[in-house]
Amino acid sequence: MNRLLAAAIALALGSSPAVVQAQYNFNLHGRQVQVHSFGSQGFAYTNDNNYLTMNTSKGSFNFDDLGVNVSSQITEKFRVGAQAYTRRLGELNKGQVTLDWAVADYRFKPWFGARGGKVKTVMGLYNNLQDVDSLFTWALLPQSMYPIDLRGSTIAHIGGDLYGKVPLGKYGKADYTVYGGVLPSDPHQGYIYALRSIFHYDTAYVGSIAGGDLKWTTPLKGFVAGTSYMEQHPKGSGIQPPSQLSPTGGSFTQDTKKRQISQFYVQYIVKGLHVDGEYHRDYRDEAIIFPATTADIQWNARSWYISGAYRFSHLVEVGSYYSHFAPNQNVDISLPGNHIYDKVVTARFDLKSYWTVKAEGHFIDGYGQIDSARGFYDGFPSALGGTAGFKPQTNMLLVRTGFSF
Amino acid sequence: MKKLFFTFLFLAAASISTGRLQAQVIVIANPGVNATEISKNDLKDVFTGASTRVGGVNVVPILLKSGTAHQEFLQVYIGKNDTAYLAGWRSLVFSGQASMPKVLDTDAAVVQFVAHNPGAVGYIGKATPHDGVKVLAVR
Repeated sequence: MNRLLAAAIALALGSSPAVVQAQYNFNLHGRQVQVHSFGSQGFAYTNDNNYLTMNTSKGSFNFDDLGVNVSSQITEKFRVGAQAYTRRLGELNKGQVTLDWAVADYRFKPWFGARGGKVKTVMGLYNNLQDVDSLFTWALLPQSMYPIDLRGSTIAHIGGDLYGKVPLGKYGKADYTVYGGVLPSDPHQGYIYALRSIFHYDTAYVGSIAGGDLKWTTPLKGFVAGTSYMEQHPKGSGIQPPSQLSPTGGSFTQDTKKRQISQFYVQYIVKGLHVDGEYHRDYRDEAIIFPATTADIQWNARSWYISGAYRFSHLVEVGSYYSHFAPNQNVDISLPGNHIYDKVVTARFDLKSYWTVKAEGHFIDGYGQIDSARGFYDGFPSALGGTAGFKPQTNMLLVRTGFSF
Repeated sequence: MKKLFFTFLFLAAASISTGRLQAQVIVIANPGVNATEISKNDLKDVFTGASTRVGGVNVVPILLKSGTAHQEFLQVYIGKNDTAYLAGWRSLVFSGQASMPKVLDTDAAVVQFVAHNPGAVGYIGKATPHDGVKVLAVR
């Protein structure tokens, strides 16, 4: 993976701009096929707590990714495409190559189209785009909303979408998407990693998913507002190894009775200014069934962030965001184990149209709960598989360089 | 008062500059495209991947890679700089929602391509010879 990424970055950075910016097209049975790719390499250094399963307290480069996609417009209305993706992120992903998305898309009319396959899930402003580093001011998107640890299980679904754009005359236009299918299996996701000492999953935590998104491009130039809604019913099963929590161990089944996610968002872009805000509510009601007992657990998570960025020139953009995450609103969220608040400042440099470098400071308060799956893993009590001993504050320097063409 | 004067001077210069930009870039289409004019909003939709139709026919946007006409087109009709514009297309490409438009090196290459490909719509500097294509008036 390292060599693959290094080769791709070397190709991107070492070639002449004319070569890099060229589209890599070829013809297959008379149809043009486009090839695009993106990749990034990050370096993270924290003052105390390790972050994202990397050894960040000593500085870590264990943070990179690479995506390559091919697509072809078969007819005026029919298009197919697929994308392969791989990344290293501490202990979560170690270079496994996955099929990120593979889509057949037929647009009957501008206001009505259908696509099926493994489809990126439209949710909020950026869910379906979260891995393309070059699109964002930030080296790391607000983790309350787009946790990189859970990427593999949130970014796409296997199923189908109906979508379209509806003109609203003087009131702007609306984009809608409705979808249904199943969640993709991701055995390397943060949730399963976080619980690895107390639950060994045999069947991945997957199940049905359905939802929709409505985005309104308002008549006010640059102002967009929208809402998303999703229901999920993931299930999992496996073995509970002997531990302090369960001396004998045994089997378990995890069944989601209800999971409802709603999200609201606004965006304002005018000239060099870019402001985003999103609010996310995630309600889960799960039964964890052991041979002798059943635990019924509810979570009521809240996430929100507000961000602002300003581009001074083609070369430089600076920005800041505040990200708020409470894994369960029903408990005392003032405790560091019940929240993660992140204040961030970033400078982005566009050295070429295809090459960015970002330097970002994170000032994080709290570390969340064991199954929050938002960066913090190894400091939970030893009974839960951790080493015990998070510090309540974490400062992080993150430098990330990326390319896309 | 002095501040007001310089503000006025700046605005006047900006408006002159914008006027000059609008005069320098023209939008061209394959003769098979029915329309003779296009609204600014429709033009923006076509060149940002939000729409593929003009005057009831499917159209395909053709981009210039760089240069004066390209910068002016983005500034006057799209309202984005090159970085933000490319980011918009990349977001569609990498989420599987669209393919990247064809990008050509020169104004003359755009004219050639648009003239010979049904539905093609592009933009060039006004001074570039453009036989074989039609000019769309932007309302």
